[in-house]
Amino acid sequence: MDRFGETVMFRCRLPLVILGLCTSALFAQDLENLQIHGFATQGFLFTTNNNYLTMKSSSGSLQWTEGALNVTAPLSERLRVGMQLHMYQMGELGGPNVLVDWALGDYKVSDQLGFRGGKVKVPMGLFNDSQDVDSLFVWTLLPQGCYPDDNRDFDLALLGGEVYGELDLGHKGSVGYRGYLGENRLDENGGYMLQLATYGFTFPTPPSGRIFGGDLRWNTPWHPLTVGSSLQYQRLDGEGPQGNVHLPPAFLQIYYTQWTKGRLEISGEYWRAQMTPMLLTQGLTMQISYDQRSWYPMVSYQLTKKLQVGTYYSHYVNQAADTSDPQNYSKDWVVSGRYNFNSNFYGKIEGHFLHGTGLGYYPQQNPDGLKPDSRMLAARIGFAF
Amino acid sequence: MALFSGVVQAQDVMIVVNKSSSVSQITESQLRDIFTGTRSHFTNGSRAIPVLLKGGPVHEVFLRRHVGDTPDEFRVRWRKAVFTGQGSMPREFASEAAMLEFIAATPGAIGYVSRIPDPNAVTMVSISGR
Repeated sequence: MDRFGETVMFRCRLPLVILGLCTSALFAQDLENLQIHGFATQGFLFTTNNNYLTMKSSSGSLQWTEGALNVTAPLSERLRVGMQLHMYQMGELGGPNVLVDWALGDYKVSDQLGFRGGKVKVPMGLFNDSQDVDSLFVWTLLPQGCYPDDNRDFDLALLGGEVYGELDLGHKGSVGYRGYLGENRLDENGGYMLQLATYGFTFPTPPSGRIFGGDLRWNTPWHPLTVGSSLQYQRLDGEGPQGNVHLPPAFLQIYYTQWTKGRLEISGEYWRAQMTPMLLTQGLTMQISYDQRSWYPMVSYQLTKKLQVGTYYSHYVNQAADTSDPQNYSKDWVVSGRYNFNSNFYGKIEGHFLHGTGLGYYPQQNPDGLKPDSRMLAARIGFAF
Repeated sequence: MALFSGVVQAQDVMIVVNKSSSVSQITESQLRDIFTGTRSHFTNGSRAIPVLLKGGPVHEVFLRRHVGDTPDEFRVRWRKAVFTGQGSMPREFASEAAMLEFIAATPGAIGYVSRIPDPNAVTMVSISGR
């Protein structure tokens, strides 16, 4: 079997091996040690102009559904296994297919050193590894410059391993670290594949590549202030009947901070990604340069036991292109509210004031072109247990 | 029953551990780290297994005083770990009696109660500074 075939077999078998471990754990352990959790959400999007995130949002769209179910079990004092299945439908993205969100074995040597292997979540910035868990946030949509919903499945997890731990610095606080290495591939029903399709490129197997990086988070002695940084290296290759796609090593750097005190939470991040993806077909090479810079400040406040409100400003610009052209930037003012009906049920509503069309728009859903500005109403109800 | 019907004062919440843990003192930050999942061992190296009440005033007072969270914030904190594969929820109990029974039978278990427990069953832990 060639290397590609081995990789495909590895991809197919690994979640099954993890599932097998989970099943073994089920029988081997007291059922009281087994944990099952899940969530389900239903969203609504309405925009005054343009169709956003592949939904027919200008007419009001309910085509935004998501759910997940996970099971975890301890096999020993140090070893834990688990798996989460996930499905999402966002306009033309996702679909009814149930995907393995993560499936891992977690061996914790000590609080300072642990290992996870399998399909593991990727730590990038404050929210990357949790961005698909809607119940955690007051926001209906996270800042799209850093956490684009249409491309998130590519960023969420990798097939490989990570090392992690928390180092106590005494009076200087503590540092959490995570380092990872593996392979990830484009979500075949995700935004990047849809973008490639607009150039006429299709791929029998989604493009994939090596990825490695890390995250360092300092929990300062000025509790509860946290500052941190994530770095990531990524490459990608894919072969299709119309041509190939090649992403030379791309470098992503992120800096972030978070401050939580009582009912108030303030966060901010700065992301910079430099990359030059290439499309190669019949001896021709099309090269697109990106120098993406994204940042946001956000603040939220718990008004009452059940009601939380917040606001953020999300800024994205591709500095490698004409920054005065609306298709190369996206600026979004957001006002949000969340109401917890009880500890499991919640509802959210959010207003967006969008300027620029650099994120979240596709020509397939906007055949008559794009207007530079739009207002948007986003709402979501959810259940988690 | 009266203990559960009214507002419990902060000083009424006592920390208890399994007797085999040989722990009699803990700092506020160690206690917070154990209940937020960033610390899994006591300073003497023995394993720490946090357990919770499902709700109620004792639970709320414990979280507010020793973890710095409301019950909602605490739930969100653990859901993040649970849904990203980084951790498993601490075990929850409907009553203090059930929690005490589990702590007494489980090496490493640590929880909280509103009344002085049987000293032969569990060890009470004092909080020392930050």
